[in-house]
Amino acid sequence: MEILRLSRDVYGREVLEGASWDLIPVFFGLGLAVIVVHLIWRRLAVPRGQAE
Amino acid sequence: MVDKVLRHAGPDRLIHWLIAASVLVLLATGFLPVLGVDFDWVAIHWWTGFVLAAAVLAHLLRVAIAGKRGPILPGSRDVSDALAVARKTFRNAAPAPPRPGKYSVSQKLIHLAFSIVVLAAIATGGMMMVNVDTPWWDRNPYWISDGAWGIVYVVHGFSALFLITLVMAHVYFALRPEKALYLRAMIGGHITRSEYMQQHDPGRWRLKP
Repeated sequence: MEILRLSRDVYGREVLEGASWDLIPVFFGLGLAVIVVHLIWRRLAVPRGQAE
Repeated sequence: MVDKVLRHAGPDRLIHWLIAASVLVLLATGFLPVLGVDFDWVAIHWWTGFVLAAAVLAHLLRVAIAGKRGPILPGSRDVSDALAVARKTFRNAAPAPPRPGKYSVSQKLIHLAFSIVVLAAIATGGMMMVNVDTPWWDRNPYWISDGAWGIVYVVHGFSALFLITLVMAHVYFALRPEKALYLRAMIGGHITRSEYMQQHDPGRWRLKP
């Protein structure tokens, strides 16, 4: 998986284009992971009366 | 005694929802074309960027005019609060963490994260406007070097990517039943006095008489 988008200019030099769009699912997955981990933690913690 | 406690004044709520709407439009117009949804997104994106920048500027001006650092910025006491929350999270027998002032540690941290990411997106987006034809100027791709443009685009891209995660987390926590009072306050402005007494330390969030 690429982290950066790179291309070459007219002289053949490598040019930085931006962040790689391959990372979109990674950051989406990270958000999903936060939600799932919190849901699991609430499920385990709340019956024990644990405050957030 | 009034049963309602003002948490967010009208202008602050307006600014919040303006920022929220503009961030969603910016994410949609930024990422949908990448995902293959083809439409004329550039003008919508930069016009919405102006709205976001104006809303953030209005927020900063309100904070500056208020003349105080703001209760949402993390301080030294938040470190001990965070440790107490962590202890309670991982060890049920630990004492309950102290009640926060107006904002909890997690609210302060997500605000800080949004601040960094949104300000980075606005700053780099503003620079990228030099590279766009507008009614007021023609694009100038030679304003800075190709390498510098690359860094600007990388920072803008990563800001947008982090915003995906932050928006998801923010919306999820805003919709949690135990956080309903804060969503209600961001819509109507108020929480009840009993919520104020139960959820907050009146010594740390002093109400104006």
